[in-house]
Amino acid sequence: MPSSTSNSRRLTAADRPGVAQPVPVRDLPDRPWWPILLGALLLAVALTGVWEWHWRALGAIPGTRDDNALWARQRRKVDEGRADATVLIGSSRTLFDIQLPVWERLSGRRPIQLALVGTSPLFALEDLAADVQFKGKVLVGVTPDLFFSGYEYLTGLIPYLRKESPSQRVGKLISMDFVEPWFAFYDQDFALFTVLRRQPWPHRKDLEESISVRKLLISEPDRNAHLWSKLETDADYRSLARRIWTQNFDDPPSTAQEIAENQRTLDTQISRASTAIARLRARGVPVLFVRDPSSGDYLAFENRAFPRRTSWDVLLAKTHAPGVHFQDYSALQGYDLPEWSHMTRASAERYTEALYGIIERDFAPPDGTRW
Amino acid sequence: MVFNTLTFVVFFAIVVALHSLPLAWTTRKINLLIASYVFYAAWNPPFILLLWISTVVDWYAAQGLVRAERPSSRRAWMLLSVVANLGMLLYFKYGKFLLLNFIAVMATFGVHYQPPDIDIVLPVGISFYTFATMSYTLDVYLRRALPARNFLDYALFVTFFPHLVAGPIMRPTELVPQFERPRRANARQLCFGLALMTLGLFNKVVLADTFLSGAAERVFDRGKVPGLLDAWAGTLAFSGQIFCDFAGYSTTAIGAALCLGFSMPDNFRFPYAAVGFSDFWRRWHITLSSWLRDYLYIPLGGNRHGPLRTAMALMTTMLLGGLWHGANWTFVVWGGLHGTYLLAERGVRKRFSGYRPGPFALLGLGLLTYTLVNLTWVFFRAKDFGTAWSVLRGMVGFNTGAKPILPVIFLSSVAVIVTGVVTAHWCMRERTLESVLARTPPLLLAIVWGLMAFAIVISQGSGNAFIYFQF
Repeated sequence: MPSSTSNSRRLTAADRPGVAQPVPVRDLPDRPWWPILLGALLLAVALTGVWEWHWRALGAIPGTRDDNALWARQRRKVDEGRADATVLIGSSRTLFDIQLPVWERLSGRRPIQLALVGTSPLFALEDLAADVQFKGKVLVGVTPDLFFSGYEYLTGLIPYLRKESPSQRVGKLISMDFVEPWFAFYDQDFALFTVLRRQPWPHRKDLEESISVRKLLISEPDRNAHLWSKLETDADYRSLARRIWTQNFDDPPSTAQEIAENQRTLDTQISRASTAIARLRARGVPVLFVRDPSSGDYLAFENRAFPRRTSWDVLLAKTHAPGVHFQDYSALQGYDLPEWSHMTRASAERYTEALYGIIERDFAPPDGTRW
Repeated sequence: MVFNTLTFVVFFAIVVALHSLPLAWTTRKINLLIASYVFYAAWNPPFILLLWISTVVDWYAAQGLVRAERPSSRRAWMLLSVVANLGMLLYFKYGKFLLLNFIAVMATFGVHYQPPDIDIVLPVGISFYTFATMSYTLDVYLRRALPARNFLDYALFVTFFPHLVAGPIMRPTELVPQFERPRRANARQLCFGLALMTLGLFNKVVLADTFLSGAAERVFDRGKVPGLLDAWAGTLAFSGQIFCDFAGYSTTAIGAALCLGFSMPDNFRFPYAAVGFSDFWRRWHITLSSWLRDYLYIPLGGNRHGPLRTAMALMTTMLLGGLWHGANWTFVVWGGLHGTYLLAERGVRKRFSGYRPGPFALLGLGLLTYTLVNLTWVFFRAKDFGTAWSVLRGMVGFNTGAKPILPVIFLSSVAVIVTGVVTAHWCMRERTLESVLARTPPLLLAIVWGLMAFAIVISQGSGNAFIYFQF
């Protein structure tokens, strides 16, 4: 391996047809590589430090990255000794609003949090229904514009769960121990391209663009999660979060074709839920729907687009499953939802306590076990 | 295990540390062999069996070749190796493809055959290690090389983790001799190896995954009809992405091997500065193109039996080379287009044999080559012909009235990075990276290296698999 470097082109197999290829020769540029490595390392560490400081100055704190691997870790608990657990399925409201430590304090057992951000949770419910090992209890959170619209974008989770490689599992463990607890910038919302995309670029005429949802979540290793406190303390950020939701507040369908299409979608979602719940019930698994609170313009939109009478009520009737709607209980109202959709951490703790009390009082399982 | 993951960082640190211990050379080679199996098992442990089958069959086939005296016996041992390796490849990579085509052919004759659903998982890197092990028996069969002196060296040649799953496709004569004597990287090799790994990961994580993949994905995978600008931007993005992804892998692999004291061959030589397609294939995925040349094109007759036979050998090689990349007819078309280009170039070169282009003509021919290469990338990237035609129609301006697809940030990223990549290739056309680094001030090297590392960290890649893993 020569240490000098010539300007001439290095020969490769492309230059030697039809013969045995010799041991490759790699040049080593004659540079002081140790000092160069040290300098590069110092620069990279310094710049990373500045980057970390920048995000912390904006209020970011380290948290567990809520990715496929984290969800899969929780989902596997069902198959690894906790087949009788209470499992929470739903969208982000279930994830943010139900606090696992509070639930555990009241019930004596910590639920498994499988709710997912920004998607209908039906595929996760179907996966659980298909798992014959599971004999626990299921709470299904219903966010109307996700649940009844059938909007699913994390369906890759189930294949990921089945095919997760040992390398991916180990990678998540390393990340959870050595990266995520220490670095606030390690969050998809602060990734380089995400940050660049947010800059005020010129707009292309006729291009339909929307602002992506910004960071809302702080997660823990078992997916106990809460709303980022910046939503409470930063009026501009709160206003931005509301504006982002507003982008999706379309008017209800007006043409007969659109109305029929929406109805078909809604019927399909309810039918899928009915099938899954029938399978769960056949194994003696209690299922409870929960409509967590929303407020302001978001609630108004939901009432317009998915009126309770034609969505929630039909869901309960067709699935023959009980449900808790926040509007039916005064104890489930009056919480602080800074961006109309998710509660502050303090509110979520009080809400969980109230919700659990109602569930235990009105929907206690017949076998005498606790939720 | 993917290079751009935390798991690999920890794995590699352990391997380098173990390799640096003052242990016997055989012990250190066993460590490398075990590490390589761990590297492969980290995807799907059962597939190690395939690796073992491939290793053992070719080891015994080569031993048999040495002992055999009659040509028919030698041919039988060679065929055993080829059938075993290609058999595995056919089943795992092309099984479903063949079945679907069989169903389609039967349907054209009015026979509606419906087989049970099959779900064959493609073992990572099977196309690469079957080619590597086949080259071992084929080299022995062709009397280009002697078999390895011991099984450990040979098994390590097949399994050595830097090249195992996505090349460079090593020949036994390139690697086995390196295992015969003790090797350990010195400080300069270790540092330069780390620099190459950083460069490779920068290409993959920052340029390919962060800045280019999104534009290609939006144009090719979302079922939208692209206009002129979007179609070209999506295609150019993919041309940059696939280079940065694959060359990034090769550079990281070469750097990883160097950190352990081993040399691996170049797999890319600034291909977007190619003038003509024979030049392109001497610069792009060199270890595959030279493998196909040595073990397919030349045995098919090469250019030794007249123009017609040459054309047939060339086209067969390129069509099969296309199919090697994936079980889809779009890859066959990609290979066929390259075969057509190569044949056309042969004709043009013959017609204008005395022509020597000046600098501007050279640049023009280079840009023409790059443009035509981009047309082939459309078939390579598109999942079906409908998408490919839609993008091609967009590229020639036929999709009038198409709505914009890519926001300005995507267009800007593609413009800056692809221009940068192509310009860099032209500047480096007749040079090596090492020759340029040898003249670069150390301070500048440290700054560029530090910035690349920082960019990798803040890009927060999610460990996306390298594109060539699927092949």
